[in-house]
Amino acid sequence: MEGRESSESRDFPWLVVLSVGFFVLVALAFWREYHSEWAPLEKRFKQILEQHGRIEDSRRFSIGIRQIWNPQLGVVDRCITCHLGYDWGAVLPAKLAEPFTPHSQLPYLEKHPFPRFGCTVCHGGQGWATEKDAAHSGGEHWDDPMISKELATGYGLTVGQMIQMRCNFCHRHDLSTPGMDEINLAKQLIKKKKCMICHTIEGKGGLVGPELTFHADKSPELFDFSHVTGEKTMFNWDYQHLMDPGKVSLGTTMPTFGFKPEEARALTLLLLSWKHLTFPPQYIPSPIEVAPLMVVRVPAEAPIVPGAEEGRKIFQTRGCNECHTIGAGKLIGPDLIGVGGRHSVDWLRSWLADPAAMIRANPDLAKWPDQFGGIVMPNQNLTPAEISTVIAYLQKL
Amino acid sequence: MREQLLRLWDKLTWTWAPRSERESGEAIVRNLWLHWFPAKIARRSMSWNYSLYLGVAASSLFLILTVTGLLLMMFYVPATNEAYGDMKDLQFAVSFGWLLRNQHRWAAHGMVLVVYLHMARVFFTGAYRGQRFGNWIVGVVLLLATLLLSFTGYLLPWDQLALWAVTVGTNIAREGPVIGETIRYLLLGGTEIGQNALLRFYVLHVFILPVTVWILFGYHMWRVRKDGGLAAIETLRLGRRAAPKTTPPTKSYSLFGLTRGATVQVLSSTDIEEQDEGFSSPELTRRVALVFLLVFNITLLLSLLSNAPLEEAANPALTPNPAKAPWYFLWLQELVASTTISIGSYRISGGLIGGIIVPGILLAALAVWPLFDRSPRSCEGVWFAPERRWQNITFAAITVVIVLLIAVGLGVRGPYWRLYWPGQPWPQMPRGL
Repeated sequence: MEGRESSESRDFPWLVVLSVGFFVLVALAFWREYHSEWAPLEKRFKQILEQHGRIEDSRRFSIGIRQIWNPQLGVVDRCITCHLGYDWGAVLPAKLAEPFTPHSQLPYLEKHPFPRFGCTVCHGGQGWATEKDAAHSGGEHWDDPMISKELATGYGLTVGQMIQMRCNFCHRHDLSTPGMDEINLAKQLIKKKKCMICHTIEGKGGLVGPELTFHADKSPELFDFSHVTGEKTMFNWDYQHLMDPGKVSLGTTMPTFGFKPEEARALTLLLLSWKHLTFPPQYIPSPIEVAPLMVVRVPAEAPIVPGAEEGRKIFQTRGCNECHTIGAGKLIGPDLIGVGGRHSVDWLRSWLADPAAMIRANPDLAKWPDQFGGIVMPNQNLTPAEISTVIAYLQKL
Repeated sequence: MREQLLRLWDKLTWTWAPRSERESGEAIVRNLWLHWFPAKIARRSMSWNYSLYLGVAASSLFLILTVTGLLLMMFYVPATNEAYGDMKDLQFAVSFGWLLRNQHRWAAHGMVLVVYLHMARVFFTGAYRGQRFGNWIVGVVLLLATLLLSFTGYLLPWDQLALWAVTVGTNIAREGPVIGETIRYLLLGGTEIGQNALLRFYVLHVFILPVTVWILFGYHMWRVRKDGGLAAIETLRLGRRAAPKTTPPTKSYSLFGLTRGATVQVLSSTDIEEQDEGFSSPELTRRVALVFLLVFNITLLLSLLSNAPLEEAANPALTPNPAKAPWYFLWLQELVASTTISIGSYRISGGLIGGIIVPGILLAALAVWPLFDRSPRSCEGVWFAPERRWQNITFAAITVVIVLLIAVGLGVRGPYWRLYWPGQPWPQMPRGL
């Protein structure tokens, strides 16, 4: 019995300590469970209702997590747990501060009722979350942040402008949509600047530049950010690339279009709206003004000329034939048949080296691009040797 | 009524708090939950500093995992389009959902650690020899089952961490000669980690592996009884055999010629003197309860302090940088990475060396080690016996290397698998907005 008693006297204090620890920890778990961010807010709201004499409403108001749940769209938006103006906006006695402010009455809400669309479809953020930080910024591990004032102004936009990017998740097939000025401007620019000469969008367009149909789904890590200033975000990459393509991707053939900052921002929003998303059929909007189908054009093979195969190869592979025909008339640029007779070797050499610089240097060429829709031929970054072989080919046409 | 209730209460509880030695003895036999214990156990087997109660800690963790896991199953659908949302629900909306998930996660990590430590204890005490060799093999299988349980559970949240850790893990399996590709195909139910893989991992995680562990655990415990208890008693036995009872014969009689000599010497089945023993109830049961409480408190404390990780929803098109295997496989990933040799554009994958050969040899060595342990029997059940010094140093050295490799993988590896020292900032990775 000696051993038994000593073992008991040694173990018993520990049993007491651990049991007390157990109760403390369980109490802490309950404290954490009931010490939520949202519960005090809801209690405050209940009090506000009481203070304003809405006793009936206050009684009807229950404390708990609220959500807009739409399984068809995969929406679980618990934003309305704190943003109580959503459910209770009608009975609110006066204009209250956030988070109790009701949603502003916007014209397009009639067609986009909250129960059908939820909150995050337009605003972004983490609808599942019931904590402010996680819901708004999305926290560390959420790649779809809420379009906040800070986020938008950081990119020189308003929240309303930036949210248009998300409108276009569904409205991508409209040529223009009421209320989506930024995106509409961008869509006009796409048409005006003939982006699809080089870029394929929805199976139509050229193959010189990268395909853009689902540009927003490309992994940011596949892009070179070494020449991008500011934060390494796709927005910054796209915006700076649109403003000065050669600065962001060295050696690109994409011309500098001289976009105004607001134009480049609009185009960036459009590019970042091009995601691969699927919706239930009843959510696909009927197009307000359908974009006209563009005819798929397979560029003609440049003719083979004996003794100038190298030059022809460059002509084909650099995509010259996307804009120039040989004997089939004007396309984007002039027909190049007999171009060797129209211009001297030196003229061709300096033109191919840098078309924009040549236009700047010769005032009589200033009006030259007008006959081609204002498009200046992009610098193809050919080496002097390559230029010589191309000229040798052109002269034989 | 009150009288009846009190009697019922007494009926349910007396075995846990016996009031006499007679009750102590009966307590074990009369209680379903206690009868796997012997009525009396050598005090040395029950001592804290022999076994460290690591086996009890491991089974406590497994009990916690079973209970939290069963509750988690009520909220989880093993579907690629629902699993991640279920995690978010547990985190934000389900009452105590955060606690369930956190405790399950931390207990799972803890179990891998404790099972390994339990094995290390058995090794360092040389408690795996003779008839205990069979139970050592069962233990090695239980270690593997624990690792597989943890690994299959890793995929279930269906977030980026899950998807890519399992990608790394199963790509290592692919390096196995001849059947590597087949095993991976069998495990994933295809060539890619998708719905089929999630379902297979789920079935393995919630049924096949836990049932295997419960059965093997039962067998493991039964074998402990059949092998005469913990190896701690072997020194007692040896001592007793070396010095047979010298009690002077008070009465000489021959038992019908059945025994040799003039006296009857009865060796009890455990060969242990009564003064070295104690009653299982309440001495052992109290300590088991103590260890369970300690383990439960630790998992609860960790769950309060730290949330189980959950990253972005799984996206097969977007690889996180860096993508790391679960920590207990990270030493293998580190081996694979450091044995991969690039000469120009020609690359020799380290997958075979780091992923198959090294762990294969280590596992085989672990399984057969007791057969080659030629130390004297007096080393059995003794911590760090001098005769087994080199064996213990070898085991410790391999453990240290594994721990160091895990530490490098966990703490120092950054984007593009480059080394970043603690405190040194990682480069900002590009993101969408």
